Amino acid sequence: MTDDSLIAERYAPEEQQEHAEDRAIASPFKRLRSEPLLPEAGAGGAPLTAVIGVISFLAALSLTAFLVIASVAGEWTLALQTSFTVQIKGTNAEAIAADTDEVVRILNSQTGVSEVNVVDASEAAKLLEPWLGKGNIGDYLNVPAIVEVRADENVRNDLELLQSRLTAAAPGAIIDDHGEWHARLAAAARSGQLLAFGVFALILGAACAIAIFAARAGLAANEKIVSLLHLVGATDQFIANEVQRRFVILGLRGSLAGVGAALITLLLAGIAAQTSRGERFFLPGVNFDGWFVLYLMTVPITICLVTAISARLTVLQALKASY
Amino acid sequence: MIVGFDQVSLTYDDGVDGGGVKVLDGVDFTLDEGEFRFLTGASGAGKTSLLKLIYLAHRPTSGRLTLFDQDVTTAEREDLPALRRRIGVVFQEFRLLDHLTAFENVALPMKVAGVNHNEYAEDVSELLNWVGLGDRMSAKPATLSGGEKQRVALARALVSKPDLIIADEPTGNVDPEMSEKIMKLFIELNKLGAAVIVATHDLDLIEALNKPTFRLEDGAMVKSERLGK
Repeated sequence: MTDDSLIAERYAPEEQQEHAEDRAIASPFKRLRSEPLLPEAGAGGAPLTAVIGVISFLAALSLTAFLVIASVAGEWTLALQTSFTVQIKGTNAEAIAADTDEVVRILNSQTGVSEVNVVDASEAAKLLEPWLGKGNIGDYLNVPAIVEVRADENVRNDLELLQSRLTAAAPGAIIDDHGEWHARLAAAARSGQLLAFGVFALILGAACAIAIFAARAGLAANEKIVSLLHLVGATDQFIANEVQRRFVILGLRGSLAGVGAALITLLLAGIAAQTSRGERFFLPGVNFDGWFVLYLMTVPITICLVTAISARLTVLQALKASY
Repeated sequence: MIVGFDQVSLTYDDGVDGGGVKVLDGVDFTLDEGEFRFLTGASGAGKTSLLKLIYLAHRPTSGRLTLFDQDVTTAEREDLPALRRRIGVVFQEFRLLDHLTAFENVALPMKVAGVNHNEYAEDVSELLNWVGLGDRMSAKPATLSGGEKQRVALARALVSKPDLIIADEPTGNVDPEMSEKIMKLFIELNKLGAAVIVATHDLDLIEALNKPTFRLEDGAMVKSERLGK
C-alpha cells in the first residue's frame, strides 16, 4: 500500500464519527490552559488592562471608604447603645451633690450596670465654655451634674424603671439615652455607606460598559477569525469562551495592578499622616491586616467576573446575528 | 443524500434599498454519498457562492438546501456547528489564522470540537508530513509561500475525517506533482466513502480524472456532464 493510500485510509470518514459539539462547551477550564485562538491585540490589550487597572484602583478606594464608615459607625453605635447619662439638676450646689450621691448609689446597686462615672465639675464647665465663654461659669449657675453610665442591654432596654427609681430618690435626675444622637449617627452612617456602595456600583457599571465596548470592538477586529472558527464548526459558546478567557486574563492583570496601587497609596497616605500630623489612625477602625487585604481582594474577583460575563453576553448576543 | 439543492437562489445585498446582486438563480442538483463531482464555470459564474452555501457560510435567499438529509434553510443556528464539522473545506484564499502556527492551524477543527491535544497531535503531524511540511510545523502563515499555505489548508480540511470534502481551486497554487498527489488523495478518500466537490477552472484536470462535472453559467446550473475521454 502506498503512503497516499494509507493517508486516505486514515482520514476517510468514520462510520461512527463523533460530532460532539458539547465537548468544547463543557471544557472552558481546559481551554484556559491552552494557547489562545483569538490574538492578544484583539481585545484591546494594554489599553484595556490600563483602564481596568484604574477602575480597580477606584473600586478599591470606594470599598475602603465603605469599610471605614461601617467600622466607625459600628463602634459609635455600640458605644451609644451600651451607655447613657444621667443629668442631675438642683436649686443649689449642695442639693445637686446630695442628689448625685444618691444617683450613684442607686446605679451601683443596679444589676447590669458596669461603670458609673461622675463627670468632674470642671469638665462639665468646659462643655459650656463654647456658649458662655471661659471663666464665666461660677457656682451661681448651678451647673447640673452629669453621670456617665455603662450598662448592658437589659438595663438599656428598660430605662423607664430606672428613671422612676432615680426620680424617687433624686427628683432632679433625668436619664438621657442619647436616642436622638444615635438616630442621627445611624442615619449619617447609612448615608455614607450607601454613597460608598453607590460609587462602588457605579465603578462596576463602568467596568461592565468598558467590557461590552471592548468585546464588540474585539469581535469587529477579529471578524475573519470568528467567521473561520464558525466554519470549522465552533459553537457560539466556544467563541464566547475564547473571548471570556481573554477578558479574565486582562481583567485579572489590570485589577490586581489597580488594587496593588490602591494598597500602596493607602499605606503611603497613612505613613504621611502619621509623620506630618502624628495621627495614629489614618483610616479609623480599619487595620492593614490580612482581613483588609482579603476584603480588597474581592475587587479583582468582582471586576474579573463583571468584565468576563459582560464580554461573554455581548459576544453571544452579537453572534446571534451571524449565520 | 449528502447535498441537495432545490431551486436555490442567492442574492447578495448591495446596500441599495430593495436591490441586490443575484449570484445563484434556481440551482437544482444533488450529491449522494460516495460521489465525486467537479464544479466548473467562468469567473463570476457563482462557483464560490455555491460552495459557500454548502459549507454553511451563507443562508440561501430562497429555495431549499439539504445537507446530510437535514434541511438547513430552516435549521436552528444551534444545529449548524455539528453539520459544519462533517465538512472539510479547502478555501480558495486558504483562510489560515496568521497568529497560529501551521500545526495549530491544522489542529483548529479538532480544538473547536473539544478534542484533546494528545488525540490529534499525531494526525496533525502525519498530515503535515504528507503534504511535505513536516519541517515547517511551527511556521506562521506569513512565512509560508502560497503553495505551502494551500497545503496547510488541505491538511486542515482533512484532519477531522470529514464526510464531505469541498475544495475551491485546490491545485491553483501548487506544483503539478503536488497537484496530482492531492487529486489522487481526494479520489482515494472518495473511494473510502467521502463525498467530494472540487471547484476548478482546470479543464485538463477534469478531463484526466473523468468525473461528473457541474457547470455554472451566470449563477445557473446549465448542465451536468462528463468531460473525460
